[in-house]
Amino acid sequence: MNTLRAAWLVALKDFQLELRTKEILTSTGLFAVLVVTLGSLAFYTDPVSSPDVAPGVLWISILFCGILLIGRSWALERENDAVFGLLLAPIPRASIYIGKTISALVLLFAVELLLVPLCLIFFQIEPSGIMLPLLALVFLGSIGFVSTASLFSAVGIRTRARDLMLSVLVFPLVAPALLASAVATRELFAGATVTEILGWMRILAAFDLLFVGFGVWVSRHLLAET
Amino acid sequence: MKLDFEEVSVAGLTKSYGPTLALAGVDLSFNAGTATVIQGSNGSGKSTLLWLLAMLAYPTRGEIRYGQYGVSRADGLRGRIGFVAHQLQLYPGLSGHENLVLAAKLQNIPYAEKRATDLCEALALGEYWNRPVRTYSRGQAQRVSIARALLHEPRLLLMDEPATGLDVKSTASVVELIEQEKQEGAIVIIVTHEAKFASAVADRVLHMDRGRIVEPAV
Repeated sequence: MNTLRAAWLVALKDFQLELRTKEILTSTGLFAVLVVTLGSLAFYTDPVSSPDVAPGVLWISILFCGILLIGRSWALERENDAVFGLLLAPIPRASIYIGKTISALVLLFAVELLLVPLCLIFFQIEPSGIMLPLLALVFLGSIGFVSTASLFSAVGIRTRARDLMLSVLVFPLVAPALLASAVATRELFAGATVTEILGWMRILAAFDLLFVGFGVWVSRHLLAET
Repeated sequence: MKLDFEEVSVAGLTKSYGPTLALAGVDLSFNAGTATVIQGSNGSGKSTLLWLLAMLAYPTRGEIRYGQYGVSRADGLRGRIGFVAHQLQLYPGLSGHENLVLAAKLQNIPYAEKRATDLCEALALGEYWNRPVRTYSRGQAQRVSIARALLHEPRLLLMDEPATGLDVKSTASVVELIEQEKQEGAIVIIVTHEAKFASAVADRVLHMDRGRIVEPAV
């Protein structure tokens, strides 16, 4: 079976599980609302300075929600040792990583569709003209983050220090992409046009390619016990 | 491409987890159409042997051959191995039928839904096949796990305590299934503590102690 078809089956299984339980979207969505609400109450000053604060709150929320979501998504694989059912199948190892990354990305993007408008409302930022580029930025920023976090979660399947590894290793690794995302978001909120933030988007796309490529390459070995 | 083989052999098979030696140079061979039961105390290396044969772990030293193929052909060989593990390796949020359909699709079985439904019927999964696995008793989940291992008509069938949680009637149907697999030429390797079940299915019984085969000499 080819890698992409197997990856799609793995992702589809995650969507099926989520449709049944709604566990990940509910917990992550509520957490997202809480973080943005707290952030807006704690850091809001006035409509003039709020565009400077909002990007930080938005990306911190995405980061925390992402870690929560990916942790929960891989916990489903550890329950009953279910992941070994996948490892027994004659499919490329990388397809498990790709499938889990796709499902986590789609679920995180669903949460972000709630998070972004909330952030704009709470920080009184006019959405017209920035909504689409903002969603594009959020999506590009999420790809690199989710692909890296999924990779370390895959490693964590066989280690006990998985949560520590996720937070200690993932954050420094994705820091450049997150910084680029936060700066591009700040510029967008400050009135920059799409053309002006295109450079940041290219950097993010390059990071994404690097993270995803590295993840696919490494996951072939990481999911196999030595 | 699925690969075919008539014999599985291990030579000098050693597995250590850090300082703990789980298998200490095991030499064995298993032939098509036979069932081998492996017994031994807890921690004697029985399950480790099955995990290595299922290619879910790699040996520290030694070699496993599936006929003429080695583990470098893992992708083709995995389509010929069925494994009933002690942890059932099922998604608790999916129903038994959905777990089987997923496994059938990953095994690239044509008409996956039909194959899964047929097996549900063969194993008398009855009215609960459409409920989430988390609502099953151990015996019910065990039957789904056994069905999953048989989905793709494996050449090598590995079973770790397959009779756990099964009632008398279900145990009898599993014995019948194992006999059927043997007649179709499968190599069956079973780890079990249940003497009655072992005597019903075994063509050969091996005993393990501290990572070694101790009885009979092979």
